[in-house]
Amino acid sequence: MTATEPEVMTAAVSARGVARSFGSVHAVADATLEVRPGTVTALIGPNGCGKTTLMLMLAGLLRPDAGEIRVAGADPRHDSAAVRAAIGWMPDQLGSWDNLTCLQTLTLMGRGYRLHKDEARERGTGLLSMVHLGEFADRPTRVLSRGQKQRLSLARALMNDPQVLLLDEPANGLDPRSRIELRTLVRDLAADGKAVLVSSHVLAELDEMVDDAIFMSKGRTLGDEAAAKVADAKRRYRVSTLDDAALRSVLKNGGVPFDDEDSGVVIRVGNEEEAFQALAWLMSHGVKVHRFGPAGSALEQTYMSMEEERR
Amino acid sequence: MTLVDQNPAPSAAPEPASSRRPAITGNPWLPTPGGVWLVTGIELRRRRPTAKGWIFYGLLLAIILGLGILLAVVSGGEKTSMPMELVLVLVLGAGMLIAPSLAATSINGDSSEGVLAPLQMTRLTAGDLALGKLLASWLIAVVVLLTMTPFLVYAFTRSGWHWDELLIVIGVILLVVLTSTAIGLAWSAIAARAVASVSLAHLTTGALLLGTLLAFVFTQPLVSETVTDQSRYVDYESLTDEQRTAYENWDWSEVDPSTLPCMTDQNPYEYGVAHTERTAWLLLSNPVVLIGESSPIISYDTWEEDGRAAPGLFAEMHRWVSDSRIGPSEADLAGEQWDECAMLVAEYNGDAYNGGNGDWEAEQEANSVYPRAPWIGLGVQGILLLGSLWIVVARLRVPYVKLRQGSRVA
Repeated sequence: MTATEPEVMTAAVSARGVARSFGSVHAVADATLEVRPGTVTALIGPNGCGKTTLMLMLAGLLRPDAGEIRVAGADPRHDSAAVRAAIGWMPDQLGSWDNLTCLQTLTLMGRGYRLHKDEARERGTGLLSMVHLGEFADRPTRVLSRGQKQRLSLARALMNDPQVLLLDEPANGLDPRSRIELRTLVRDLAADGKAVLVSSHVLAELDEMVDDAIFMSKGRTLGDEAAAKVADAKRRYRVSTLDDAALRSVLKNGGVPFDDEDSGVVIRVGNEEEAFQALAWLMSHGVKVHRFGPAGSALEQTYMSMEEERR
Repeated sequence: MTLVDQNPAPSAAPEPASSRRPAITGNPWLPTPGGVWLVTGIELRRRRPTAKGWIFYGLLLAIILGLGILLAVVSGGEKTSMPMELVLVLVLGAGMLIAPSLAATSINGDSSEGVLAPLQMTRLTAGDLALGKLLASWLIAVVVLLTMTPFLVYAFTRSGWHWDELLIVIGVILLVVLTSTAIGLAWSAIAARAVASVSLAHLTTGALLLGTLLAFVFTQPLVSETVTDQSRYVDYESLTDEQRTAYENWDWSEVDPSTLPCMTDQNPYEYGVAHTERTAWLLLSNPVVLIGESSPIISYDTWEEDGRAAPGLFAEMHRWVSDSRIGPSEADLAGEQWDECAMLVAEYNGDAYNGGNGDWEAEQEANSVYPRAPWIGLGVQGILLLGSLWIVVARLRVPYVKLRQGSRVA
């Protein structure tokens, strides 16, 4: 990343007021986002909210009707070749050349990126073993299962050693083990200095993977409002006791605000230190706490609260 | 996860994105030799026949070889252009069926399989993809030609053609197939569904093959002029008894036929004669006519002395096309002017009577050696080829401005 040192402070991907419609359908109405190098950003939203369309525009495959996009400093409208060279894109649609082998697929892709044949082959071999498809190197891609194709697609996106990775639903169809491996892999790639934008529905997965999250609804990115919600959700701790009535009265008497939800009582703590103090305080007041911890995935909570607003 | 160990290349191999190669700018679309070659290679590898495919291909080859041997045995020793014409028509027909079918599914098919966009994400340009796909489908038609080679060699030895003439015709056939392939590819870039693009590709080929002929036939009334026959007969009613006896018995010992009274036909027959020279370009734009116009001229009169085979299908086509190009002669436009009195006099004097019509055989001979006219056909092919490629490149350029109706990027 030394060569791009002056740009380190700027975002690897930035979009401002991006819009795109297909006929009368406004797929993306107003999207604004930034992805910094070395971080993983999640793009979250319900089906059909415009995530894929936005990713296509960021990838330089689709021209936005309005708004500004910069990827690695280039504008995909005028310098789409430079944008595409800087990007590894894993599409949501799984496609592979049926009767070509996995290694052939990657080698040919690499040559599309103007790598020398041997270099492409070597890199393809390395990437195949990285995504644990080494034993399939010489088998045609039609024998791969859905999850394996997904991993091949990821390897394909990495063939040009991109600065920016756009992963569209990468966890789809992966078994639990592969999901955990994907998470580690994505973190490693970010640690390498790559900017990663990942869209997914498996929100609990994202929680542990991402540094930042962008929520999208009906073609709009929700900026500060959603960020505030995520921050709030991260502070929420659920307290389970043997006697909830006693807990409520202790909290009321102590002047501690709390949410009384179906699944139990939720309080807010600033950080882990505060959480410890809160627990100690509850114990000192004789509350019979049997479970105390974060109230589930922050992203999931935010997503659900967004969904509720929509109804 | 040992990603970091395996991923970067600590060896000398330069990484494409991180190394300081000259930055790519702009939005290039022009084809590059390397890119076209790579795409062609990918397409051909993907279409590599399966075991069944090879068996089918072997059977086809066996049938063609068998047909060739059968023809060699059955036909006599004299020169004939029939096998040659047959093999050329087969190559053209097969090429125009196979290559456009393959091309017509290669863009929208790839798109719905999700393998087009990953290629567009690489450094390959729209021109690379367009030409690579075109070449790959076309090369399969070339393979068909190569399959026909044994038959072609045999046909050539019997045909009385020269090597250069054969090469020219094969070149033109391959151009026609290339154009049909490009048309198929263009439909594939326009239509979202493979079914639609394949049918449209074949409809376009059909329009070129049959449509031009139908248009030529149906526009004839528009370019026709009315011609009146003006025949003269012996006026039977005004004959003297002596003349009538001589006329009925065809005995001119007593009567001089030039003294017979004559009359002009009172109800002249009217009909249209088409100025086909004005619409002959429709014929010349037909691909099959183009092949005929690119093949050697065979004289109806002197083919034996010229060392040729007897005029065959192509020569007949050339004669007919030339007739249309020349249009009606003065005599044709003047109408039939048959003159019974003149005929009787000529017969009486022992002369031949040519009933006011042109000499059909001389006209046929003249038409058969009329200069060839492949240029309109070649021009049409060239325009269709370049136009189709332009459509394909425009449709493959990313970032997409417009998407095919009912499709998504993939």
